[in-house]
Amino acid sequence: MIQLKTLLTCIDNSGASVVECVNVLKKKRPATIGDRIVVVVQKQRAATSEGTSGTALANKVRRGDIRHAVVVRVKKELQRDDGTVVRFGDNACVLVNKAGDPIGTRMNGVVGQELRGKQWSKILSLAPVHV
Amino acid sequence: MAALPTMRPLGCLRSLLKTKEVIQPQLGRRFLSTAYSQRPQRVPLPQSLPEQFLSQVPVRMRPENAPKPIKVYTPPPSARKACKDAVAKVTETQLETLDPKGERKALFDYRRNPRSIKPGDIVRVTFKNGDPFNGVVLSIKLRGIDTSFLLRNELTRVAVELSVKVFNPNVQSVEIVQRAQRKIRRARLYYMRSRKHDRRSVENVVNAYIRQKKAFMGGGKR
Repeated sequence: MIQLKTLLTCIDNSGASVVECVNVLKKKRPATIGDRIVVVVQKQRAATSEGTSGTALANKVRRGDIRHAVVVRVKKELQRDDGTVVRFGDNACVLVNKAGDPIGTRMNGVVGQELRGKQWSKILSLAPVHV
Repeated sequence: MAALPTMRPLGCLRSLLKTKEVIQPQLGRRFLSTAYSQRPQRVPLPQSLPEQFLSQVPVRMRPENAPKPIKVYTPPPSARKACKDAVAKVTETQLETLDPKGERKALFDYRRNPRSIKPGDIVRVTFKNGDPFNGVVLSIKLRGIDTSFLLRNELTRVAVELSVKVFNPNVQSVEIVQRAQRKIRRARLYYMRSRKHDRRSVENVVNAYIRQKKAFMGGGKR
């Protein structure tokens, strides 16, 4: 149930940590796993100044940026075709560019398997675990 | 218009004369139309009217236009009598196809079977078409063929809950990894969602179990 003003955690290394949904794309209902949304970056991840290779890996997005994102976890329970119901502990998303490629290069955290049905295999391959 | 007496003093005499005309009292009079009379009795048609007189009878009263008897159909056979409890019957047939030996049913029938899975146990579910899932059983909903159980776990520091239908053909096996540590007095352990009572990740318990199981199986082979 991601809609206007929903705050999500961003689980990639693009530099955003908390983003706010401002629009749900291609849908008149609240977004769920695998849906594309428009977000505003509300909180930046603390830039690892001493980090390796310095500025190239530093935050790709800044506070106030408007970006596209894909929802990967939702609190609202989701029923699958075989009757199993999945519910996550938080709402999370991954930032993508206009073409649909993820902005970050790494992800931490589980993602829902519904991404497979919605052709987000690039995100799925980055994710460490899917449920 | 009555003339003013001051202008024509004799004018008032005429009005006096007029009052002498006879006014017939209207109250006691009765007209023919208002007189009460009994409704005429309907004269029935003679039973055996000769045929030549039938043309004089109004069309609706002729014998061929007499009301026909209404056709009454016998009710269809009652479905309720044939099968008293249809839902139970469907459940039974479904169980027969999905769980012919009744093992799955016994494994989750925590009200009757003391060896069944109970809320609070740590359980590992393997699927035919996906990764296995481990978790603490928060609740078991006994609903016939729709029986399901709710598992909770923490993966990469994110709580994940999965409700699985017991008789789902995708479910390959359900194993008990660990029994509840102490006696649990509730059937629904939703309080384990609160931070205070959260069991957090059960992965290390499950990994230890898998290692143990592997060693055990390997020993059996030798």
